[in-house]
This record gives sequence, C-alpha cells and structure tokens, in this order.
Amino acid sequence: MDSQTCNVKKLHDQIEQTLNDGSLTHPRCRQRATEIFDLVHDVSQGLAGDDHLDSILELAQNLADEGLTPACRELGEHVTAFVDQHQEEFISHIRTHTCPTGKCPMLTPAPCQMACPAGIDIPSYVTLVGQGKYAEAISVIRRDNPFPWVCGLVCTHPCEFMCVRGRMDKSIAIMDLKGFAAEKAMSAHSYQNPEPGPDNGRKICIIGAGPGGLTAAYYLALRGYRVTVIEALPVAGGMMMVGIPRYRLPREVIDREVAMIESLGVEIRLNTRLGKDVTIESLRSEGFEGFLLAIGAHGSYKLMIPGEDDYEGVIPAVSFLRRVSLGDHRRPGKKVAVVGGGNVAIDAARTCLRLGCERVTILYRRTHDQMPAHHEEVVEAEEEGVVFSYLTIPKQIQGADGRATGIVCVRAELSEPDDSGRRRPVPVEGSEHVIEADVIIPAIGQEIRPQGLEALEEVDWTRRNTIRVHTVTMQTNQQGVFAVGDAVTGPATVVEAIAGGKKAASAIHRHFEGIAQPALPRVPVRRRRLPHFDLPASLKTDLDRPKMHQLSNDRRRITFQQVHLGFDEQQAHEESKRCLRCDICIRCGRCVEICRDKMGIEALCLGYLDFDNPGPTDLRITAERCIACGACSTNCPTGAMQMTDRDGYRELSLCGTVLNRLQLEYCEVCGAVLGPARYHDYIVKRVRDVSPTSNGRRICLECARRQSGGQHAEITPPPR
Amino acid sequence: MSKYYLFQDQKRCIGCMACVAACKSRQALPRGPFPSLVVAVGPRRVGNLPRTAYTFMPCFHCENPWCVAACPTGAMRPRTEDGIVTVDPDLCVGCKTCISACPWGAPQWNPETGKAVKCDYCYERVEAGLEPACVTVCPTKCLYFGTPDEIPEVRRERYARARAQDL
Repeated sequence: MDSQTCNVKKLHDQIEQTLNDGSLTHPRCRQRATEIFDLVHDVSQGLAGDDHLDSILELAQNLADEGLTPACRELGEHVTAFVDQHQEEFISHIRTHTCPTGKCPMLTPAPCQMACPAGIDIPSYVTLVGQGKYAEAISVIRRDNPFPWVCGLVCTHPCEFMCVRGRMDKSIAIMDLKGFAAEKAMSAHSYQNPEPGPDNGRKICIIGAGPGGLTAAYYLALRGYRVTVIEALPVAGGMMMVGIPRYRLPREVIDREVAMIESLGVEIRLNTRLGKDVTIESLRSEGFEGFLLAIGAHGSYKLMIPGEDDYEGVIPAVSFLRRVSLGDHRRPGKKVAVVGGGNVAIDAARTCLRLGCERVTILYRRTHDQMPAHHEEVVEAEEEGVVFSYLTIPKQIQGADGRATGIVCVRAELSEPDDSGRRRPVPVEGSEHVIEADVIIPAIGQEIRPQGLEALEEVDWTRRNTIRVHTVTMQTNQQGVFAVGDAVTGPATVVEAIAGGKKAASAIHRHFEGIAQPALPRVPVRRRRLPHFDLPASLKTDLDRPKMHQLSNDRRRITFQQVHLGFDEQQAHEESKRCLRCDICIRCGRCVEICRDKMGIEALCLGYLDFDNPGPTDLRITAERCIACGACSTNCPTGAMQMTDRDGYRELSLCGTVLNRLQLEYCEVCGAVLGPARYHDYIVKRVRDVSPTSNGRRICLECARRQSGGQHAEITPPPR
Repeated sequence: MSKYYLFQDQKRCIGCMACVAACKSRQALPRGPFPSLVVAVGPRRVGNLPRTAYTFMPCFHCENPWCVAACPTGAMRPRTEDGIVTVDPDLCVGCKTCISACPWGAPQWNPETGKAVKCDYCYERVEAGLEPACVTVCPTKCLYFGTPDEIPEVRRERYARARAQDL
C-alpha cells in the first residue's frame, strides 16, 4: 500500500465529488448517496462504530440493486467494491481512531505516539498526569505497555526525539512523566489490572520471563488464556533484571510490575531451563498448545583478539552484569577496561565503580559523537569518574600468572567519509600502547544462545543468528510457535520487546480463534481525546523542562541507589502543561498560512509547525498583532485553534494556549456581541477610501438590517 | 452598481417569506444565514388601522461596496460583466470583515462552510434567462427584477395607481 494514500479519505472525496457534480439526479438516489457520505465521513472523523461498515455496504448494495439511474448503480457498485477491497483499512480507522497517513485530520496521530514502538497514546497520558489522574494515566499506558514503571525509568524514549516541543525549546520529559505516574499510582494502590476476559481454556507456554515474554503473557491472560512462563534464571524480568543495573532500575520496580502480571493468573516457573529441566515434548504433554520463544540475547560477542581466552579477569559484560544483579557484589578487580561504546559498556563501567574499582576506562574505537550510548548516560558516567579513551582499538590482552594485567591498544584516526558517508577508524601505525587493567570487560554486542531450542528443528534462523519470524504475525516456520524480543530483533530495547510481545499476543489469539492475520502494519490506537489545559501564551513559553533531581555524586559512586530521584508533583504537572497536544493540533499550518498570506496580518509566529525546517516560534507576538477575525480557527480542520467569547473578552487559543484576548464591544441597539475594537479598526481602515464616514458605527448585523429596512419602509407613522 | 435592480412593491407584499425560503433553499443553507430577508416594520396605526410594512432586504450590489473594500482576500468581488457582488468560496477564509463592514447586513455567515454567503441575484439563473429565485416564487408578484432604467417606470406606475386609489 502506498503509505501516502488513505483509502477512507479517498472514498470520502469520491462520493463528495459525485454528489457535487450533479450526476445523481434521482432524489432517492441522492438521499442514499448522502447517507453513505455521512457514514464515510463519520469513519474519517473517528465517530464511527462497528456497525458503520455494514450500513455503508447495505446502502451501497441498495443503490446498486435499485439502479434508478446508471450513475446510481455505478456509485453503488463502486462503493461496494472499494469498501470490500480496503475493508481492513476501514476497520482500522473505526477501531484505532488513527489514520497513519494523516489524510484524515481528526485521526492524525501525534509524532510521539508514532515514534513509540509500543504505540502508547502519549498525549492522553501526559494530559492525565497534568490533571493528577495517575491511575487513569497508568491504565491508558497499560493498554499498550504493561510496564509503565520500568519504561518510565529506562526506556530509550524515541518519543522524545520526535517531540514537537523539542523544535521549540526542549522536548517533553515523556519518559519521566510515565515513571512519575506509575510511582504515584503504585504508592496509592490505584495501579490496577483491567478485568480479564473469561477463561477460554487454551494453554500457552512462554519461554523466557523478559519484557517480551511477560508482555505477551499479560495480553494473553487478559484475553482469557492460561499462560505459563518458564524462566531459566532464579528471577523474573529477563534483561530488565539481569542486564540493567539497579541504580537505573530498582529491583522492586520490576518485582511489582511482574507481580501485577502474575496476579492475572500467569504462572512463572523460575529456574526452569528449556531443554534441561523441561522439553517441548513434556510441555506439550502438559497441554500447552502454543509456544512463544522469548529467550533474549544473553550471549556476548567475543573481541576476537589474542589472549581473550587465556587469562582470568576477562568477563563479558552480559555475564558480569548478570552476576552482579544476582547478588555477587565482590569487587572484580582494581583497574577495569571496558571495551565498547554502547549502553551496556556504560552500564558495566558504572557498575564497576560502584563495586569499588579504582580506575574504570571505556575503550571505544570511534569518537564521542559516534557512540551508540545515550548522551545522558555518557555524561552521568563522566560525572561519576569513568574515563573515556576514544579512538582506541584493542589489539591483545596481556597477562601474567594466568591473570590479565593489561590490554594492548593502538590509536586510531577517522578516515575520510566513505561512499556510505561513514568515517571509519583507521589504526595509526606505531601507536601501540598498553592500558593497565586486571579486569577486561568486552561489551561489543550480544548474541542469542540457541541452547535448548534444538527440539524445535523446524524453526528457521536468520543469517544474523536470530529467529526468523513473519514480521506481522511473529510466527516462526513452525505452526503454533511464535517468537519475540531480542531473540528475533537481535539486542534491542525493552520497549521494542514489549511491542513485539503485544503483537505476538494478538497474533496468537488470531491464530487460535481462526481470525485472519492483519495484512497492514500495526497502527497505534488513540485511546482518549482529552480536553487541553488553558494557560496563557507567556506561561506556555516560559515553562521549562524541569531538571531531574539526582543522587549526590559521592553516593552514586559507592551505592546502587537509584540515581534519578524523580519529579515532584508540581514539576510533573507543569511539565505536562508544556505539551503542545499534537494529537489535536496536527501542524498542518493552515492557520499561519491564512493569517499571513490571506489576511496579511502575520499574527501567528509558529515556526515549530514545520517539522523539517522549523522557524522561530513566538506565542506572545499574536497578542500584539491579532485582530481576532477568527479566520484561523474557522479553517482549523481539527478544532485545535479556537476562538471563544468569554467574560467580555474574545479569546484566541491554540490547544488551550491563549494567544490573544481582546475586550468585546456590543451593539448599541440590542446589546448583541460585536467584535473587539481592533477588529473594527482593521475594517474601518480598509473601507476608508470608499466610505470616509463609516467610523463610529457599533451596530450588529440584525439591527443594521432592521434599521435600514425601517428606513425603506413606505409607511410613515402619523405624527402623534 | 450592478446592471440589475431588484425592486419590491411594498404595497403588495404580505410578508409570507416565500422569497426568503426560496433564497435559502436555492443555496442549500443551514440554520442562521439569510442572504435576503423580509423585515417587518410595525405594526403601526395608520389612520385607524394597524398596519405592518414588509421591506425586502437583499444585497443592493453597491457601486463601491464596502464589503469588497473590507475583504482582504479578494473573495468578495463585483462581477466585471454585470457588477453583481459575489463571494468566491475558494478564496473566502471566513474572517467576517465583509459582514461587519456592510451597513445593511447583506453578507451572511454560513456556519457549516465557515465562509461568507450573500445574495448574488441568482446570477446562474439570470444568465440562463430566468429571474432570481425570490422573484419567481413571490405569490403576490411584488418583486420585480430588471435593469435600473426599467424600474422607475414600474415604480412611477405603482405610485400613480396608489395615488389614484387614495383619491
């Protein structure tokens, strides 16, 4: 499908065209066509219910069957065929209230929601946080992600990169608001599970209690499946538990959210490794019909340099982090060299500091700018005292008496950009040097350990050594066996695993219910359409992204206490009010265009609307220039720009941000509302040439007519 | 000034509003706008009887229309061929300046389209050799549509007849 065509909108426009071109001459025919048009309009406005599609088809069938004129029959047949062909898209519009092409203005999703792998309705929950409705915010999030608290602390937040407010000043702290809401709701005991559906008796086994597996378990349990999760480790949570260090994600957070999933009746069997403690056959004999492989990527890539396997003290990052997470807090050594530039390398380095290592160096072959690790993480690691050695390539590991003593490295410089535009590190000749280290932690990537899956012979693997699945259904080559998470994507993020888990749950359900799998890519669902906050333009502009409270640096260096201490309530409320509500304002720019090009007033300075080439934004300037003519609000396709008369003033607001407020004037005769003085000044100035005396009239439309009607009346009352 | 003139013989008008209804229905307008309106004046006692006058208020299609001067987008224009003042819906952005500028309240607001709408003498009908809708439906034939040079004749005739009746 061409992603730029919305077939709902296309049919909408086609019927409108047919209605307007006068080809439907028969009145009954026109009536039916108008009814079909109204129903299609509802679909494109997000007002449609499940019966709309059937009604459209029925009406179209009537139109075709009656065949009052050839044009009627043609329209009826066209609508029937078109809706049949694009049924999935119509249903998607009705169910998700989202039009991913942005052709249906009311259904255009916000960029943050589109960027979220799990498709969370971000504007809605951000607004709910601002209203203080934390439990509601959590229930909105958990429609798409059963781990709001975990993701509120460690998500890679791609949403914030797409945040439109980021074009204006700084993006909304979307992730932190989620964490805040989860903490508040959990503490108030209002963090609750939705009501699960009735038990359908089917048993599903999920292998791996990580974010992907547990997410699938959650959504399957809600659909009434009996879910058992088997987990090789003695703890549930997968990489969230044994990959992410506790100073970023406290164990209690995972435990509480996993407990929420368990309370839906999901059974988690710990210390149970597939292929060792249980086999596929033993599970099948227990009655499991469906299997979901969510085994993660717990193996480490090797450095492939001499000495790697020869000395004690070379610990792959994943094994190291797992060991520490499971409670081994012994200091691994005094001087640590971590090899790699990703988040795992940073996690390992910061963990070493906390375990008491004296000197921790991260060796990275490229430069700071090219590091895949998050900038904030790098900064925090630097603050804590991690040393970064850029453009450093490890060559060999040295050792003595069976223990590593150092790592031989060469310096590198970046080559000129190659054909793909990438600058590669090139070793500098004769730059060998030794970095002393008794612990060397390779953190250059993870791979999947396929042990235990031997029984699933039919499951196909990709060249990258990941499980091959159908991208929409998450099903492997083997019927009834699905796979998600790092095992499919290769090492990725928590939120991607969650997205996969949700998708797999839906696919498993469709598989067992015999519902056709979707052919179109997944579309995020608009959960709510909430009113916006009213606040003055200056406040909207001045509110700044709050600075996250942090643990003192000294304590960060010695304990595993959480570094980010969270927002306080006031900060969270203010932060949510910074949101520009891109679920309502779709940034089409019509208001700016009309004000500037048609009216010639240039009162709207909203440079952030242009995503690719953002210009300057000044919300305050509108109050200086705007005449409150209302053309912007009249032409706004979504009602984001609104003009309202309130308390003697005419207010122009964009998603609740009051851009202009002018005192109203009233009709001298009847007291009806007229526009503000500045509006009249504008008109007087324009008509000055044709009507030099027009000044000073303050009379409404109705009275103007009545008066001139009276003047033209040909009865004159007799003098009294 | 438009080439045409619409004249109402108030003596004959009974205020049935058929013209108003025809006008709205021809333009398929929702609740609210009345491009032409019959304004009731009175009732007042004339002689010993209560009498109401009905004034038909369409657009007068002025020579130098204020609405045209006020319109910032050029949507409001007198037609070059006959001077009928019309709104181009493609250009109108709904700033309502024409509505506020007109001393007679002729341009009206269509809340459904968010644009101004006004009497255009049904120029499509006129071009087809028909009369405007309001004139066609008037049951008392009190509306006359023609060129200004015809109208004074009608007016004079009507005035003379009225005088004669009064005598």
